[in-house]
Order: sequence, then structure tokens, then C-alpha cells
Amino acid sequence: MSVGAPIPTAWTTGTTEVLKTGTWRAALPRYVSAPSPCHLACPVAGESAEWIGRVRERDFRGAWEILVRNNPFPATAGRICHRPCEGACNRSGFDSSLAIRALERHVGDRAIAEGWRFPPPPSERAEPVAVVGGGPSGLSAAYHMRRRGYRVALFERERELGGLMRYGIPAYRLPRAVLDAEIDRILALGIDLRLGAAIDRPEDLARLRAEFGAVYLAVGAGRQKRLQTLDYEKPWAIDGAAWLRRANAGRPPALGPRLAVVGGGSAAIDVARGARRFGHEVTLIALEREGEMLAQRSEIEEAIEEGVRLQDGAMIERVTERGAKSLALECVRVDFIAGAERGSFRVERIAGSEFRIAADAVVSAIGQDPDLGAIEGALSTRRALIETGEAQTTSAPDLYAGGDAASMERFVTAAIGMGRRAALAIDASFAAARRERGAASERPVPLAAIATFYYPKGERPCERRLGVEERLRGEAEVEFGILPEEAPREAERCFSCGTCIFCDNCFLYCPDLAVRRIPSGYEVLGDYCKGCGICVKECPTGSMEMAEELR
Amino acid sequence: MRALAVGYEPILSSGHAACPGCIEALTVRHVAAALGTNTVAVVPPSCMAIIAGPQPFSSFKIPVYQPSLEASAAAATGLRRALDAQEKRDTLVAVFAGDGGTYDIGFQCLSSAAERNEDFIYFCFDNEGYMNTGAQKSSATPHFAKTGSTPAGKASKKKNLTEIMAAHGVPYVATACAGYLADLIRKGEKATRIRGTRIITLLVPCLDGWGLADDCGLEAARFAVESGVFPLYEVEEGCRYTLNEAGKTRPVRDYLSLQRRYRHATPEEIDALQAEVDAGWARLLERVAASRESGLTPSAK
Repeated sequence: MSVGAPIPTAWTTGTTEVLKTGTWRAALPRYVSAPSPCHLACPVAGESAEWIGRVRERDFRGAWEILVRNNPFPATAGRICHRPCEGACNRSGFDSSLAIRALERHVGDRAIAEGWRFPPPPSERAEPVAVVGGGPSGLSAAYHMRRRGYRVALFERERELGGLMRYGIPAYRLPRAVLDAEIDRILALGIDLRLGAAIDRPEDLARLRAEFGAVYLAVGAGRQKRLQTLDYEKPWAIDGAAWLRRANAGRPPALGPRLAVVGGGSAAIDVARGARRFGHEVTLIALEREGEMLAQRSEIEEAIEEGVRLQDGAMIERVTERGAKSLALECVRVDFIAGAERGSFRVERIAGSEFRIAADAVVSAIGQDPDLGAIEGALSTRRALIETGEAQTTSAPDLYAGGDAASMERFVTAAIGMGRRAALAIDASFAAARRERGAASERPVPLAAIATFYYPKGERPCERRLGVEERLRGEAEVEFGILPEEAPREAERCFSCGTCIFCDNCFLYCPDLAVRRIPSGYEVLGDYCKGCGICVKECPTGSMEMAEELR
Repeated sequence: MRALAVGYEPILSSGHAACPGCIEALTVRHVAAALGTNTVAVVPPSCMAIIAGPQPFSSFKIPVYQPSLEASAAAATGLRRALDAQEKRDTLVAVFAGDGGTYDIGFQCLSSAAERNEDFIYFCFDNEGYMNTGAQKSSATPHFAKTGSTPAGKASKKKNLTEIMAAHGVPYVATACAGYLADLIRKGEKATRIRGTRIITLLVPCLDGWGLADDCGLEAARFAVESGVFPLYEVEEGCRYTLNEAGKTRPVRDYLSLQRRYRHATPEEIDALQAEVDAGWARLLERVAASRESGLTPSAK
């Protein structure tokens, strides 16, 4: 065509890309990274969607490295955690919640089997910090501070570390080889260990405060609550913690064949199940009805399988000695009414429901309070606990507290989480600039944000347990882990809530080609996006959300 | 959840004038890309003609010829012969027509082109009505659906284009939709490897015409497949049937309840539609079974 001649009207001169259809829309999708419900439910900030994604890819080392960013005890927590993550899992509204704890145990066990170690801290810091108490919370705090380069001194009154994990939880739930391996791995980071060093008196604490820039108090709750109806001077009445301590060492107290255990929490269940292993006939008396007991559901089921007789919604009113050994426990049914705060409650006796149980001894495991002799005058307390703030801070700026001494949330993983929070707060107090990512303030991803079309339905792997007869023979671990081939398959079921898996759906399903792949994920092109929301609706992980635009 | 690997060059451009959330635009994005850049498109008056762009702009990075509404198959025939005369035998000719231009007005020339086994791929973007002109009924509008010209619901059943075209004995007839994107892309690519008349009916839920939210088109398409209203299948040489999504897992009611055009439907009408869908599904399964028994499996030839 010659220069200057008019272009025929039927000819096309360019593409529609000159038309900016972005002006049509009222809302623009945003590519986001949002917290999963399991992450928000996790007391240790689990980052579950991320490490489960590594399991899916069979990158178990990668999964472990993400896990131990927050929790140095994956094999331990993978056995005994009360798993709030599974209760929050979006998958439970679809088929069944993901077996997150079983996956964590699988990764934790692999780490032990392969001998994976923590890398040394990237740089050493001068500030010395002290941790009082070598239980889950203290070890967690020591671990997190050591990985951040602080010089950590750990004070423990006993001759061995582990606290409740060693002296409370029985080996059939937490094998000692697993516990020892996870503790040794922390110690290998280089921690100044002071075993047999009790910090009991105010002057002990004052000495520590003079020597260390910050002190984390995780002294546990060692003082037993006691039943007023029992005379603990008698040889037939004993505290649950004392019984467990001796039973876990293989030498349970010599008591008659019929044991009554009082309590509805994990400790009472541990006593009852342990007593079955030493041949006792066991009746468990709990104030709460079976469904309200604080112990985990599976623990109660396993106890009943093992022959523990449960008297729920009941309490002992009077104990009468019958002859040299035998006792008559006069009991009554009660209505248990939980209070607003965890651990507070009242009971109402149901008249006319009295009954009697014959027993030879009574073990009470109805809770513990911390022994706060060391902090007297130094810190404020509330309901027999050290009073703490969000970041485990106390009324003194250099003192932090956590674990059972500061909380009624008596779970091992909650204690581990408090240790972590304290370590982060101490770190932040030394380097005020550093702050934890505020995931908890963002909205969690609901099930409705997941495009479930892309997930076939499938049930979680069934939990396998040792046969009851073999259990009663000794310390063999009751729960089995999932099979190696089951782990990546179970991880496939994870919705990865709020964590992009780079599936390209937002890119592929855009009718306007207004979503672009970029190295870090995806980008919405404001020039062309008409705001239909397909990318949000088709996202299988909830990583796209609509935001209204005001202009 | 695994990513769908799509590695082709885009042919549709941004800036086109389809409604927000339009499944027709999304579908043609992937269909055109599956055909490749060595393609000439024929687009009769339809929503697609709007999407293709206002002159002098085009949303397609391939040549587009816009014939009159009744003439798509004849235009494709002419283009094919002109390309062959220029020895451009590898250049594909593809029609992107609507259901009005296919089921109704363009039907006679499509039927005669199929009878002659002309060498082009015909995509019918079936949104079940004249949606571009404000939603009037076409012979693709299903039974009981409300449109501007059937305000009390359509009194007759939908014409079965796939079966009619299969009865012409052409090499390849199939159904597909963007809700099953991997299947759609596979069928588009498969069609490029066959010579002769190939016809693919694409279910395109129309947000405005059906009464769907802007982000619900894909869900409606999937419900249509899951309820058996729109089975995904292929027919080769008029007799070899393959069912691509085997399960009919959802009652028709679920599909209808997504759409405003069925809001007036009575329980009796819903039952009648369910019975029609069940009968159609049973007939399809018989044909699939018959072609399997007679050894007419797709690989048999």
C-alpha cells in the first residue's frame, strides 16, 4: 500500500489492549498470604500449611526445618499435643480434619532416626539470659534464645531435664528415647546447664537478676491440690504426681489391689492407666461427665479400653476405713457446672444418688498450683499464678514467666508456645527493632474461601493402637505412627489454607488475562481486571481475596 | 490439588468487551490458544463478535473474518478452499459461533458442510439463547427456562446438536466446558490433529442471561456436568462414543437452583426436567456401551 493512502475501514490496526477495562470494576482481587485456622489455633505458631506442603513434596527435612522454627519438640508434640489445630481444620467441614499430629510425629521421628541437628546460631550475642525450669516451657525458651545467639543458662532442680514430660507423662504415651533425643538436640546447641539447682527463695532469684539481663521463670506447678475428704497422712492416700513420678521410674508405691483415682484431667487418666499396667483394679472418679473431662478424648477411650472403670459426674463425700486395709468410699452423683475461667467450676450434689465404692487406696490428681516461694514480693500474682501479659511479660521488666506457673492452660504444647513467646519478647527487648510477624491479627481463611472442587474427598488415616493385652504388660507405646507411604498422601488432603501452592488457577481462569505470573507468585493487572472475582472463587488455598475499591 | 500445565501462547488479548466474569471469553481464550497462531477464525454476529473487538481493534492475535449470521459454515468452507488453493493446508479454519448462529439460523449451511465433510473446526459457544440481544430463546434454550421471549418458561425441549451432528457421521463431535479446563484443552488440541468437519459444543453459562453471580459461571458449568444436564463426551465417525466424566452425581435441582432463569420452575417441572435428563443419560450410556461391545473403541480404527 502506498504511503499516505487511507487505511480501509475493514482493517484492524491494533489489539483491544488499548481499552482499559479496569475502569469497569468496583472491587479488585488481592493476592494474599493469610493465616490458616490450624496455624492460628496452634499454641506454637505451627505454620502448618507450609510444613505440610513440604511433606506433600516428600521433602521431610524441609518440613522439619519449618517445624523447628517454632517448636523444638515435633516428635514429642506429635504424640501428646491436644491438637487444637485438628479441631480448627477447614477440612473437618468437608470430610474429616487432617491428621496433623500424626504427620508431625512422622516428621519428628524421621528427624530422630536421621540424626538431624540444629544449625549453630548465625551470630553470638553478648547478653546473658537465664531460664528457671527445664520442662517443656523452659527448654523451649532456652532453645529459641540460643538459636538467636544468646548465652543461655538453664536452672533445673531435678537431676534430669524434661519436667512434666519426664516425671508426669508415662512412657507408653511418650517413649523416653524420643524425649531424650529431642532434649539432647537442644543441649547440643550449647546451653549452660545447671542441674540440681533449685531457685526457691527470693534471694536466689535476686542473685539471678543481678547476673542475667533477663530471666524466664518456667517453674511448673508442683504443689498438689488436695481433696479435703482425704487424710493424706494415711498410707492409703497419695497425690497423683507422686504416684506418677514413682511409677514412671518403675517403682510404684505399694498399695492394695483396688485403686480409686480421683480427677478428670490427663494426669488422673495417666495414673489410672499406669495403675492398670501394674495390675490394679482401677475406678476413676471425675466430677465432670465423660464428655466434659479435660483429658483428651482418645486418652479416655484408651483408658476404658484398658479396663479403667469410669464413674463420671461423681465425687467422694466420705472415706470410711473398713478393717485393716479396705476402704468404703461414699460417693454421690453431681452436676458439674464449669465457670467462665478455665479451671473454675462449681458442683451441685444430686440428692438421693449416693453410692458406695470399695477400694484399698485413693490417688487424687485434681490439679496443681505453682510453688511461688522464689517470687514472693518480686512479682504480682493472680489466682495462685504469676500474672503475665501477652508476651509472657511480668510486673518486672527483666522477668518473664510461662508454662504451668503462669497459666491454667495445662498443655505441653501451650507451655512450649509460651517459652517461644517469652524468647521472642526477650529478644525484642534487647533488639527493639525486631518484631514477630503479626499473623494472629489477620483474618483466618474460612472453608468458604477454599475451592473444594479441586479436592477429591477422602478420610484421614485411621489411628492404630497397640492391643490392650500388650499395653497392660508394660511401657510399650500405645499409639502407632502413620505409615511412611501414608504421610505424603495425607498431606495431599491439606487445603494449604492461606498459603499459595502456585497452581495457576487465578492465572488460567481469568477471562480478561488480567492475572500475571511473577517470580513471587501472582499479580493482578489493575488496567484490565473487571472485578468478576473468578480468581478468588477458583483459588484452592484462599490466597486471593476481594477488596472493595473506593475511587 | 495439582497445577494444570498450560504452556501455549495467548491469542486472546486483554481489553475485550465481554462482561465481567464471562465464561465465553474464558473459553475462547483457551480454545484459541489450543488451536495455535496458524489459524483463521470465522465469527458470525454473536457475543463473540463483540468480544472480538470494535473496529479498528481486535482482541484476537489471529485473522478474524466476520460473515453474516446464517453463513458461518459456508464462509469457513470458502476460506478453507482459498487457503488450500494457496497451498496453506496447515492453516486451520475455526468457527467461533453462538447457539443462535448454529442451532437456528446457521443450521442449514452447517448441515450441508458437514455432509460434504468440509475441513474445519466448528465451535458452538452455547449459552442457550440470544444473549447478545437481551436474552431471547433459541432452539438451544432448555425446557422451562425463562427468557425475554419465553417469560413463562420455554415450552419445548432443547435441540440436541451433538447428536444431530454425530448423525452426519463426521470424524469428530464432542462437548466441553471451561469448568473442566483440562478436558476442554485436550479436545481442542485433539481436534487440530483430525481432518474433516469437527464440531465441539461448548456449554457457556451466561451470567446475565441465566441469572448468575459474576464469579459463578464455572460452578454452573460444573453443576451441569455433575447433574448430567450437559454430559462431557466425544463421538468419532458418528458411532464411537466416549464418556469423559463418568459419574452423574448431583440432582438436576442443584443445577437449577443456581440460576435465576429457573426460579419460577414448579416442583412438577423440576421433576419433569430430572426425568428428561435421566432418559438422556441412559440413552448416552447405551450408546457408549454399544460402541464398546461392537469393538468400536476410539483406538479400534
